[in-house]
Amino acid sequence: MPLIETAPAPLLEKLPADSAVPVEGLDQPTWLVRRESLKEVAKMLGADASAGFDLLLDVCGVDYPGRAERFEVVYHLYSIGRHERLRLKVAVPEEDPVLPSLIDVWKAANWFEREVYDMFGLRFEGHPNLRRILTHEAFEGHPLRKDYDPARRWILTEDKIYRPEPRPDDEESGDDMFEPMTINIGPSHPAMHGTFRIVARLDGEVITASEVEIGYLHRCFEKMAETHTWQQVIPFTDRLNYCSAFINNVGYCRTVEKLLGVEAPPKAVWASTILSEFSRIMDHCVCNGATLVDAGALTNFWYFFQPREEIYGLLEACSGARLTVSYCRIGGLAADLPPDFEAHCRRLLEMIPPFMDDIEKLVDKNRIWLDRSVGVAAISGEQAVNWGWTGPCLRASGVANDVRRDHPYDLYDTVDWNVVVLPGGDVYDRYRIRMLEIRESLKIIRQLLDRGIPEGPYIVDDPHVALPPKDVAYNQMEAMIYHFKLIMDGIQVPAGEIYSMVEGANGELGFYAISDGSGKPYRLKVRPPCFPIMSTFSHLIQGGSVSDAVVSLGGLNIIAGELER
Amino acid sequence: MVGESWVTTTFEKLGEWGRNNSFWPLPFGTACCGIEFMSVVSSHYDMARFGYEVVRFSPRQSDLLIVAGTITDKMAPVLKKIYDQMPDPKWVVSMGACACSGGFYRAYHVMQGIDEIIPVDVYVPGCPPTPEGLMHGILQLKEKIERDRKRVKKEKATIAADRDGSSAAA
Amino acid sequence: MTEHPKETRPYRYSLAERLYLPLLSGLAVTLKHFLRNLLGRGPGYTIQYPEERRNYSHRFRGHHILTSRPDGSLRCVACFLCATACPAECIHIESGEHPDLNIEKYPVVYDIDMLRCVFCGYCVDACPEDAIIMSTNYDMAYFSRDQSIATKEELSKPYTYDTSRLGYRPHYPEEEAQRAAIREGVVDLIGEARRRQGSAAPAKATKAAPARRGRAKSTEGQPS
Repeated sequence: MPLIETAPAPLLEKLPADSAVPVEGLDQPTWLVRRESLKEVAKMLGADASAGFDLLLDVCGVDYPGRAERFEVVYHLYSIGRHERLRLKVAVPEEDPVLPSLIDVWKAANWFEREVYDMFGLRFEGHPNLRRILTHEAFEGHPLRKDYDPARRWILTEDKIYRPEPRPDDEESGDDMFEPMTINIGPSHPAMHGTFRIVARLDGEVITASEVEIGYLHRCFEKMAETHTWQQVIPFTDRLNYCSAFINNVGYCRTVEKLLGVEAPPKAVWASTILSEFSRIMDHCVCNGATLVDAGALTNFWYFFQPREEIYGLLEACSGARLTVSYCRIGGLAADLPPDFEAHCRRLLEMIPPFMDDIEKLVDKNRIWLDRSVGVAAISGEQAVNWGWTGPCLRASGVANDVRRDHPYDLYDTVDWNVVVLPGGDVYDRYRIRMLEIRESLKIIRQLLDRGIPEGPYIVDDPHVALPPKDVAYNQMEAMIYHFKLIMDGIQVPAGEIYSMVEGANGELGFYAISDGSGKPYRLKVRPPCFPIMSTFSHLIQGGSVSDAVVSLGGLNIIAGELER
Repeated sequence: MVGESWVTTTFEKLGEWGRNNSFWPLPFGTACCGIEFMSVVSSHYDMARFGYEVVRFSPRQSDLLIVAGTITDKMAPVLKKIYDQMPDPKWVVSMGACACSGGFYRAYHVMQGIDEIIPVDVYVPGCPPTPEGLMHGILQLKEKIERDRKRVKKEKATIAADRDGSSAAA
Repeated sequence: MTEHPKETRPYRYSLAERLYLPLLSGLAVTLKHFLRNLLGRGPGYTIQYPEERRNYSHRFRGHHILTSRPDGSLRCVACFLCATACPAECIHIESGEHPDLNIEKYPVVYDIDMLRCVFCGYCVDACPEDAIIMSTNYDMAYFSRDQSIATKEELSKPYTYDTSRLGYRPHYPEEEAQRAAIREGVVDLIGEARRRQGSAAPAKATKAAPARRGRAKSTEGQPS
């Protein structure tokens, strides 16, 4: 994919001199911003209509112990209208680790800044609730700093658990109809999908304020990535969004391939596109199935899980595992496609639609479901963008934003398909959009299958990137040496940085990788699509009843593994 | 003696038979393994065939805790509390590498096996285990419970015999 | 700057929906499935484990196997590549000098902590001797953590050589046979699938296909 080179130079002129300096030669336009002028720059970029960087994708901290200003905070911005990206970098010294909070400009900054605080100990001035988000209350130190021992654990005891007391803004007004009550939902609660905790303040049955607590599944992916070689990270990426593990594999491998400057062969790209779409179908099945179960519609769950099991069959036939496939490798696939791959895919194409038809007949126009979902947890497109939403949830609010169309990767620009957009912004439209996207995915797969399997290898023929084929390695000394070197030292990725994204099942799944030229990633930041979505949750459920909160959580498709990494 | 009467022992047997064939599992599903647990209860594998379909999310109503997924240090007090709330007799199945040992997350926020805080009866390896793997684990647990019951019965009988013997000698 | 919708337009109920009428079509769907299953015409998705087993592919990543040379000694030369490649660091090897001078080393200890293992198959990819492969054996359950350490002896037990239970490994001879059959036109998987797609016949497994597929079941499952 060509690098985005058009730097938004005219914007620079609007700023006072030396508040931002462009950096040349990176994968996307990058500005070095002085800490003092960060807020001004952000306001100009985010709030100014002509700049239009309306989406804050990610905030990432990086630790460079050798530098005079030890920390760096990296902001990734995106303009939905112009499909442009911009990266801001701010250096922060260790002695005075403070920088301004950008919550006023982008609400999405809220949780991202908390995460940087938790992981690096940088403080954001003006943040209303700057406390740990992923790690627990008894945790000491900041784990993503380079001098933190990856295995150093802290034990949390019952008495230290944080007990939030959410207060509505207007409590003093005394408008409450009933005596207010604070309830705790989760983390071990079926409606919280196992790993979220919500403390809600109720007025009768209406939620007047709430606080969401996450981090119950923080598995330290980013620290683990720093302690493993580039190849070894692939199994870890499986477990980010475990409902569609393959898309994570693709996203990560494409990122590293771009850093390396290699390209996966056509066969691998073809298969990745098909399997990604199947994974997306699977993910949407789980999400919609779970949402409907949360609303009490159990039958659909069985109907949704049937196609899912069949897709597992396909993934297992390719990779050997049902859920955590690890089928991608940097530069291609782990193994050749099975001989009956195409036939198997066609069998699936044939069997999935009847199940979807059944489900649509059951719930689409069913008033019980409509009453539970129409208008529930509605959010307008403008607000959703400000909160950092991407993916199906944003498209359900009327904003057509899809990485597959706007920044095509793999084969998405060669097939004919539509970006589905719905205007409702509520749970019902989030459900509908997933049903429609399943059909679109099937369309993509059908077109690709009709082209036939591309001939050729399934992984690049480059001994610095991919293991040589076994029979070659056994017969040639040179290949054997490469084999040993690649496993002992890992892939030597040249120093540099890149942000690369794929459309995950739940939005833009980005990987921001920094390499220092050693065999391991220096820093690997995931831009999890559901992280900003979940940060909105408290806002979404305000004013609704508890049962609405349950349904809306299902509809957002929050996958804890990806949310908390 | 009342405790030894035919009625009560038969009733006890009936209870044990029922208990063994109708676990009420509490799925403590946090991550990927939770998704595979869903497969176990859905139509392809259908745990109801063994009588284990009454999935309860309330610890007070269940006797089999299936820990499916990574347990982090933040989650640990919650898991401990849930376990403590379950009434006896209770069993624990640890599903998947993360719950069993921490898996490949040798990291600052991940518990290296739930046996750090609660006793585990059966460990099911895999990442995640296949649904068959989990069912195999639960069936193994069932056998183990039967074995233990027989052993306890035998021990009780030995103790009783000893007591009778010693009292006779006295 | 592109304007994003400032308001939401929720779905509007039709009259029929107000009257709960579409519920009937839903009831028809469930009734159809109910009757079909009642009359035994249903697809019968449930796999009666443990009597019946899902037929996983021959790429399944299950319990590991250490392979042997024809003379019965282990192929492993204790080169530590598998232990290095393992992201979970679950392989523990101690090497020793082999009496045969042609072979440099052999593993004195070769343990895999099955509870740590994430079954990613990296050890198989890394092995330069085809000494470690995986089986389709997934029936694993342990009562203690000590029990879960699979030793050299357990990993090389003869029963694992049952060729029908070989899993993830560098070469799949059965696939080669299948590919040859497809090439020579003995089976026409794709054509068959296309035909069925056109005729919208009920999904049914192709008998000719030697490949194991997701839904196919075998009844010759080995006792656990």
